[in-house]
Amino acid sequence: MGDAPLLAAAIGLLVAGLYLTPGLACALLARYREAQRAGRRAEALLRDLLTPTEYARLTTRGYLEVRSPSYPGRVYRVPRDGGIVVVYQNGRAVGGLCVHAVEPIPVPDTVAMHKLMIEGAEATYLQRANHLSVGALCRYGIGFVYER
Amino acid sequence: MGVLRVMTAGGDRAVKWDPRRAEAGDLEARAAILEAERVFAEARARGATAFRVTTDQPARRIDRFDPEAEQIVVVPQVAGG
Repeated sequence: MGDAPLLAAAIGLLVAGLYLTPGLACALLARYREAQRAGRRAEALLRDLLTPTEYARLTTRGYLEVRSPSYPGRVYRVPRDGGIVVVYQNGRAVGGLCVHAVEPIPVPDTVAMHKLMIEGAEATYLQRANHLSVGALCRYGIGFVYER
Repeated sequence: MGVLRVMTAGGDRAVKWDPRRAEAGDLEARAAILEAERVFAEARARGATAFRVTTDQPARRIDRFDPEAEQIVVVPQVAGG
């Protein structure tokens, strides 16, 4: 008799679980498909914005090199995964930049964002970026990743 | 054909227009330009940066919508991480 409320609660939870789980699974699946679609669109935009050579290099090396329009000898290496951008001056890593979009965008769009900002609004890009020293890059293991 | 592509969480939102047809007085083409202009202004008001993209040329920042542009790509506001 004393176990009746506990049993009722357990049955209630079971019924609620059976009712909610398919809904939750459907919602998660829909979310997953949406993210996949967004990723495909973003990848298409990125491919469209890069030359075939740039896109091939990005795929094989894991980063995109963008030349500075205003600092001779400077190259920005933008990682494929949207992480820290490494700044190279005359072939040597001199620092890193941490920049992100304030609105969520798919990862391939992040690569395109870096390229466009560097090419067309470098001063603003550098002004907004969080600058990292070479020491900080080494601590994150970034130097090792980019020496491929 | 011109195209405006605004980066969003769901991938880019694209608005296309035909400047030649708009010039010739086609109402639908004019409406497409107005729509692109509205989307452009809306994104800029949120702090986004717009770039005119031309094949084989570096991107160029623009502050005003240009219906003659081949492609305009709008990126969200950026901040240091």
